[in-house]
Amino acid sequence: MLIKILGSGCAKCNRLEQLTREAVAELGIEASFEHVTEMDKIMAYPIMTTPALVVDEKVKVSGRMPSKDELLGWLKAG
Amino acid sequence: MDWMITALQGGMASLASYLAAHVLLCLVPAFFIAGALSALVPQQSIIRFLGPDASKWVSYPAAAGAGSLLAVCSCTIQPLFAGIYKKGAGLGPAVTFLFFAPAANILALAYTGVALGADFAIARIVLALSFGIGIGMIMAALYREGDVARLADVETFAAGGGIPGRTLLFLGALVALLIAGTLKLDFLTAGLLHVEMPWSGAAAVQAGLDQLVPVNEAAGAEGLSLQGLILIGLLGAISVFAWKGLGQVDNGFNRLTPVALALTALTLAFAALGMRVTDTGVLLTVTGRTLAVSALCLAIWPLARRFDGWDVQQWLWETWRFVKQIFPLLVVGVFLVGIIRVFIQPEWIRSIAGANTVLANMAGVVFGVFMYFPTLVEVPIAKMFLSLGMHPGPLIAYLMADPELSLQSILITAAIIGKLKAWTYVGLVALFSTLAGLTYGAWVDGTSLLILAPGVIGFVALIVTSLHLIERGRQATRKE
Repeated sequence: MLIKILGSGCAKCNRLEQLTREAVAELGIEASFEHVTEMDKIMAYPIMTTPALVVDEKVKVSGRMPSKDELLGWLKAG
Repeated sequence: MDWMITALQGGMASLASYLAAHVLLCLVPAFFIAGALSALVPQQSIIRFLGPDASKWVSYPAAAGAGSLLAVCSCTIQPLFAGIYKKGAGLGPAVTFLFFAPAANILALAYTGVALGADFAIARIVLALSFGIGIGMIMAALYREGDVARLADVETFAAGGGIPGRTLLFLGALVALLIAGTLKLDFLTAGLLHVEMPWSGAAAVQAGLDQLVPVNEAAGAEGLSLQGLILIGLLGAISVFAWKGLGQVDNGFNRLTPVALALTALTLAFAALGMRVTDTGVLLTVTGRTLAVSALCLAIWPLARRFDGWDVQQWLWETWRFVKQIFPLLVVGVFLVGIIRVFIQPEWIRSIAGANTVLANMAGVVFGVFMYFPTLVEVPIAKMFLSLGMHPGPLIAYLMADPELSLQSILITAAIIGKLKAWTYVGLVALFSTLAGLTYGAWVDGTSLLILAPGVIGFVALIVTSLHLIERGRQATRKE
């Protein structure tokens, strides 16, 4: 599973990455992480706000912090 | 040695007046509002109006709305600006958004209102709004040709829901708290109940404080009152409890969360209390403001309970993040401003910007462009200039230019929209800030609003109509 965190490196983005890593560890799944900070690459996704979470090239959430249950749901389904 | 003591006292005086009751009553609710805007307002509720097909009657006001509601955090400004420009409504609204955001966010507005006066806050928002839209439209007209190749992706602007009613109600209560704490209205300031607390040591403590931080009304130094000292103590206590209570609230509420919140409410209520040291003790005055602030603090509790636990956690976490990010910078900035204040001769400021001239306004703008101050520190700097005799006109010119234009923001803008457009934008902002200063200065100098308001409205209307006509002309030629 490829997980991308989109965001310019602000506090919220780092927090999202941390939450996602915790969720991945909890589920015990294989996933590689990428933190995308370049604005051009971020804008290639259909989002206007960061932080955003992209799982296997699908945008799951943008502009807000998902709750742990939401995260677990996406990672299980993905 | 004497000058060092004077300088340090200047810094302390500046800090003391910053931590005084009226500033806390404005900044503390403003931080909570900023947190709520960031955590609870669904961004899609405004972004959906900024799509590529939105008419400019919708997209420009929506861009301004996004500037004041969504852009409280720097994480939002850059992607939103790039997004509006590259995928959405285009260069014009993107520029309006960029221009309006730093002047109209709740923290800047509330702090300006308390430190410099409500008229400065109102002037800042009105001028930023009208000129922000004006600059956006000029930019859109200038670069119309290069602005057609935009990615059209519908998904980005999918209509989400609006802002839920409970969020509006919650924000309304927080704004009411901010207003009740700051407005100088008779029914808020009138004393309802006086309580005299006998404490013989009070006068001695106040005398000691006066020696440490002398009151100097000419320089705008308010000194440090006993109430101020207690408030600083309370703030210290809040920061100790909030470090864990609010800073780690996203892992679930912990035991310190309610303690930190209760202390915050207590601090607000105490700040709203009138307190005067007399010969025999301390005279406490319960005012309308005390009651209003206490009642609103209590009312926020049931309103917050209507949200999911997760949303409330996000709200508190965001609020604390803003405090952590901005408050230390402000404290240091305010202290340094107080020290610098001691060394600047009022004559220098008065000779450069003491009157509302074109040159003085341009000086304000130039100072704003070349100096970069962290968020909100422009306000104490402006306050210092005001007390040194700067004319309100050039001051507004400075206040408009400083947060909009710094070398850093110019570089970021250039990376997104290109160098030529970025420098055009810089030129326009400099021009319009000078105009804004001149307008406000003329109003302060007594030019009637009846002459100025039609002037400003006419100027903006002129831009809007002429650009509208140019565009219609272009569309007509394209059809032929």
